[in-house]
Amino acid sequence: MDWRWDFTFEVVLPRIWQAAGVTVWATVVSFLLALVGGLVLMLLKTHRSAWISRPATEFIEVIRATPLLVQIFFLFFLLPEVGITLPPLTTGILALAIYNSTLCAEVYRAGFQAVPSGQWEACVALNMSTYRTYKDVIIPQSLPPIVPALGNYLVAIFKETPLLSFVAVAEIMQVSKLIGSEYYRFTEAITVAGIFFLVMSLVAAFLIRLVDQYVKRSILH
Amino acid sequence: MIRFDKVLKAYGALEVLKDLDFSVEKGEVVSIIGPSGSGKTTVLRVLMTLEDIQGGTIYVDGEPLNRMDVNGQLVEASKAHVRRIRAKLGMVFQSFNLFPHMTALQNCIESPIYTQGLSKAEAVEEATRLLDMVGLADKAGHYPSQLSGGQQQRVAIARTLAMHPEVLLFDEPTSALDPEMVGEVLSVIRDLAKSGRYTILLVTHQMGFAREVSDRVCFFDAGKMVEEGVPGDLFGNPRNERLRQFLSKVLEAS
Repeated sequence: MDWRWDFTFEVVLPRIWQAAGVTVWATVVSFLLALVGGLVLMLLKTHRSAWISRPATEFIEVIRATPLLVQIFFLFFLLPEVGITLPPLTTGILALAIYNSTLCAEVYRAGFQAVPSGQWEACVALNMSTYRTYKDVIIPQSLPPIVPALGNYLVAIFKETPLLSFVAVAEIMQVSKLIGSEYYRFTEAITVAGIFFLVMSLVAAFLIRLVDQYVKRSILH
Repeated sequence: MIRFDKVLKAYGALEVLKDLDFSVEKGEVVSIIGPSGSGKTTVLRVLMTLEDIQGGTIYVDGEPLNRMDVNGQLVEASKAHVRRIRAKLGMVFQSFNLFPHMTALQNCIESPIYTQGLSKAEAVEEATRLLDMVGLADKAGHYPSQLSGGQQQRVAIARTLAMHPEVLLFDEPTSALDPEMVGEVLSVIRDLAKSGRYTILLVTHQMGFAREVSDRVCFFDAGKMVEEGVPGDLFGNPRNERLRQFLSKVLEAS
């Protein structure tokens, strides 16, 4: 195999390192947006009024039943048509956030439903507000099942970011393809990109396990 | 204090409460007995707004619970209205329903602080007094999982009292307990009943206890109140055939 270390260290690593920043940024921002968006979607979906819950349910269905790549293209080409022109990175983050918020919504729903009905009833009997019921009673108790599931989505989003290369976001995959076509050498760039994803996924999985253990320790006595 | 006016509760075609008329005077201690499926727990649950009703009206202190008066018309009650009326009620559950991630003390101060707006110091002082009253002053820092069933139920009673309700609803408060723990919980309820400060509705299978503390006992069967009376009459001289059968079965078992 033709592998050049000087090329790897002088060209590939510095450029991929730069692109890694974009990848991590896209991952973290879309994950945070998905966490909030998922909660909002879940609350809309379980709303008492069908006028609110039905559209939310249909929206989730549509998003989950179409490929993420199609959604990225859809936003990228459609938003300018309606007068909204966003940078490719912003469009990409938006698409990742929307797609994953529908998945997070399901995680929240399952987590909240796992809290025994007696807990909800105690909150009613103690006349607690909806806000306090969720914040102090339901959410803390649903964290143990929710945290590892959400952690998996963090890793999943991270691994979905190469899709943004289709709309020319300068993340790792796009940059390694560029390096490849500029120098007619793909081996080093693609390999380094792969190793980066592997290492970061393992690190993330380790951190998620720590957070998970912390949550379990502090909530379940 | 409490009045059910032709209250209908149904799950689809299954009517759990059938046009129930039922009332409780202020300060009265009323026990509800009856076979399972008779609707006796449902009376407490619809009163506590844990379940909605399909017909009729429930009045608390003269005010309708599920409806409200707007310019002389009864309309669907707003959230604020329901919460205002509900503040007069407190409920103790069969399975305690303590918050497992909070200590006994935290369980008792959560709602006083955030619902009633007490300062933390005031809430802690009140909760400490109540935990002391139910004999658990030394368990304030314990989590529910570190307490016995009887202790958990006594914390649950303290938590309910911390909200200063006028009406206490006990839903089979000793049914989930090991036999040796029933006494400690009944003794707390007995003190509350004798204090005369609360209107009490007690759903129970403890016939001896119901007879001892109640001003009035009501027998429910198939969603209706079939017989009511002072404990001596109801237990000593049951008129209804279903009540006679029920009592003989219960006494046989004990």
